[in-house]
Amino acid sequence: MRHIAAAILALLFAAPAPFSTTAWAQPKDSLVVDLPGDVATMDPQIQWDTDSYTVYRNIFDNLLTRDVSGKIVPQVATAWRYTDDTTIVFDLRSDILFHDGSKLTPEDVVFSVRRITNPAFKSPQLSQFDQIASAEVTGPNQVTLHTKSPYPALLAQLVKLSIIPKAYVEKVGDTAFNQAVIGSGPFKLKSWQRGVQTNLEANETYWRGKPFFKTVTFRAVPDPATRIADLRTGRADITRGLTPDDAVAMKNERTLKVSPIATERVAYLFVNALAGPTKDKRVRQAIAMAVDRDTLISALQQGYAKPTNIVLTPANVGYVADVKGWPFDPARARALIKEAGAEGATITFLTSPVYDRRLNEAVQQMLDDVGLKMTITVVDQPTYLRRRLGTPEDAGSMSQGRWSCACQDADGVIFPLFRSGSVWSKFSNAEFDTEVDAARATLDDAKRIGHYHRAFEILRDEVPGIGLFQDEAIYLMKRELAFTPTANEAFFVYDMKWE
Amino acid sequence: MTRHLAARFGQALLASFGVLTIVFFIMRLSGDPTLLLVPEGASIEQINELRHQLGFDRPLPIQFLAYLGDLAHFDFGESLVQRAPVLGIVAERIPYTVALACGSLLVAIGIGIPAGIMMAVARGTWLERVLAGFVLAGQSLPTFWSGILLILLFGVTLGWLPTSGADGIKALIMPSLALGAVAMSTFARMTRIAVLDELSRDYVTAARARGLSRGQALLRHVLRNAAVPVVTIAALEIGNLLAGAVIVETVFAWPGIGQLAIQSIQSRDFLVVQTVVLFVSLVYVMTNLLADLLYAAIDPRIRMGV
Repeated sequence: MRHIAAAILALLFAAPAPFSTTAWAQPKDSLVVDLPGDVATMDPQIQWDTDSYTVYRNIFDNLLTRDVSGKIVPQVATAWRYTDDTTIVFDLRSDILFHDGSKLTPEDVVFSVRRITNPAFKSPQLSQFDQIASAEVTGPNQVTLHTKSPYPALLAQLVKLSIIPKAYVEKVGDTAFNQAVIGSGPFKLKSWQRGVQTNLEANETYWRGKPFFKTVTFRAVPDPATRIADLRTGRADITRGLTPDDAVAMKNERTLKVSPIATERVAYLFVNALAGPTKDKRVRQAIAMAVDRDTLISALQQGYAKPTNIVLTPANVGYVADVKGWPFDPARARALIKEAGAEGATITFLTSPVYDRRLNEAVQQMLDDVGLKMTITVVDQPTYLRRRLGTPEDAGSMSQGRWSCACQDADGVIFPLFRSGSVWSKFSNAEFDTEVDAARATLDDAKRIGHYHRAFEILRDEVPGIGLFQDEAIYLMKRELAFTPTANEAFFVYDMKWE
Repeated sequence: MTRHLAARFGQALLASFGVLTIVFFIMRLSGDPTLLLVPEGASIEQINELRHQLGFDRPLPIQFLAYLGDLAHFDFGESLVQRAPVLGIVAERIPYTVALACGSLLVAIGIGIPAGIMMAVARGTWLERVLAGFVLAGQSLPTFWSGILLILLFGVTLGWLPTSGADGIKALIMPSLALGAVAMSTFARMTRIAVLDELSRDYVTAARARGLSRGQALLRHVLRNAAVPVVTIAALEIGNLLAGAVIVETVFAWPGIGQLAIQSIQSRDFLVVQTVVLFVSLVYVMTNLLADLLYAAIDPRIRMGV
């Protein structure tokens, strides 16, 4: 009986998909995308979760955008200049039309800024834009923004500012706009079946030229195994959110290709410097030497990650390559723990099911090997966040995280994580605070790098966190689809085509 | 009878209210969604501002009273994640879950009851043993596993059925099989026991003595009497199907309320979760009520209060 079962299983998994290319073949001018979830809001000024923006960013133009290399380049704005440290002037294109035929004007840009920064609008994205003090039209094709203080990450944030049509939004109201959005982007919203799928159609008169695909369908398929089955049978053309294990399994598929991209997301370990046994700097340094990054990357990530020396990735402004990470040295770690008198001390590792359980257990083994005793406390995500963001005493000694500010700037990473007074920070160091404050207050890139260099040296010595690796986003797509994924995980269908 | 019905209806509403109250407080005690909504790096002031705007800084009893007040006006509120009326969000999903429940019940009853009768009639033979193995498999294979196996076999390898989605009757077949399998086993086992029980009664012997064949006795007398426990099971199984739908809908990307419940719990979309729970508990209570009424139709002794 067991043999029969094994044979059936082997047949199921090993058999090729004979009808795959014909059974659900799509017309050539359409693209079908499988996403893990449905769009939460079509209104680009409300939710900024990956599934939502993967869809709606194809419908809207942004004030600025990034090219494939990650450089900030013009989109609705053609040029910009600072007139003083808190005032920036944007020149705008005058040839952009919304999908209803109306012209995109400076009033629409100002409206977009004012709407998302209005606290009463309750946008979860407010914190990314609330350094903007005011916006006004200052010329026929010109808009001026004022920031509350010098704000170097402003341009990086404006990459995410979708321009929405003022007249239409004011006419139909926020709720109706969310149901039937109109943008100026390469695709128009054709239909949105909540929880099922979203259909877009090409904007034939798009100012950058007609899109390659006539129609795009985004389907919500929560189970990764089902998404892979959809790709194998040709029901979908591309999906994202593959695990490294899935990627390895799919490497030899004839009709598919696996395409990973190093993102701005950094995997790190948080180490509590204000409470518990890790309050002792020597214990934190010992933990840094006890963790074997290379093993984590090869065993858990199957190589789909790049080791990082600091709690930041090279995809971010402010990254410094020459601050060395701690070497893997269990003997020195053990000696340091002994010196600190922390042998057998209990390290509470606070975590939630959102995070990779295997990484928790690997770290547990590594810390046990150098004489510490790590206990893993699993709670649900809201509880995890409440404790992690609460008092140092309640935050646990350690936890893992994957951090992305979606702004590709050090300010969005180490400031919230380690600046004293920030909710995430369980670390207090006056010199570090001075450096990150100074880096935030100047627009001079060279000066900023200098401040961050010093800040990362302090972080290296103090170890309130340990950078593990630069996370990779893994896409699975048909071999003949040409698409270059980017570090900010933008998913612009306009840049895709069949080869 | 009318008084009985009114009393049962009142109990049903009370039970649903109890469920709603428990869910309201449990969800809020384990944390509010503000922290899940803000992007990484938001400051404490920004978090508190959003929490205030969303009203989660008010005392829990006040929030509960406000919710009940809205509910009394049939205002189910607005989803704080999707920024759309909750009633619409849930209502859009119900037809999918109803279709899946019907498909699964068809599988469960269509296969389960004949299998149960056959097992009873063919007691002690090889046929019973084969069917028993089949029933056991349906009972013990978890749906997330059987679902993936079905996808691999009928979707990927054979290419007969779509691997996911909700477009057309073909897409309903695999989710119905996966979800119906467990209920099918329950129906088969209960039918077998009920039929065996009735077959040993005196009236069956009497009927046979009157010259009825075994098949005639089964069809005319036994099945009707064996139906009472099976109807009870059917009512209970509808509740189980709704619970099982949570997993099956996720595996097959079937956009029903089970999938919606999972998404909303993960994002702490309170009002959506509460409305789904309210709907499910009403369905559960109502099907039980319906089963009570059906007994009366099937068994005159219940109708007459004997």
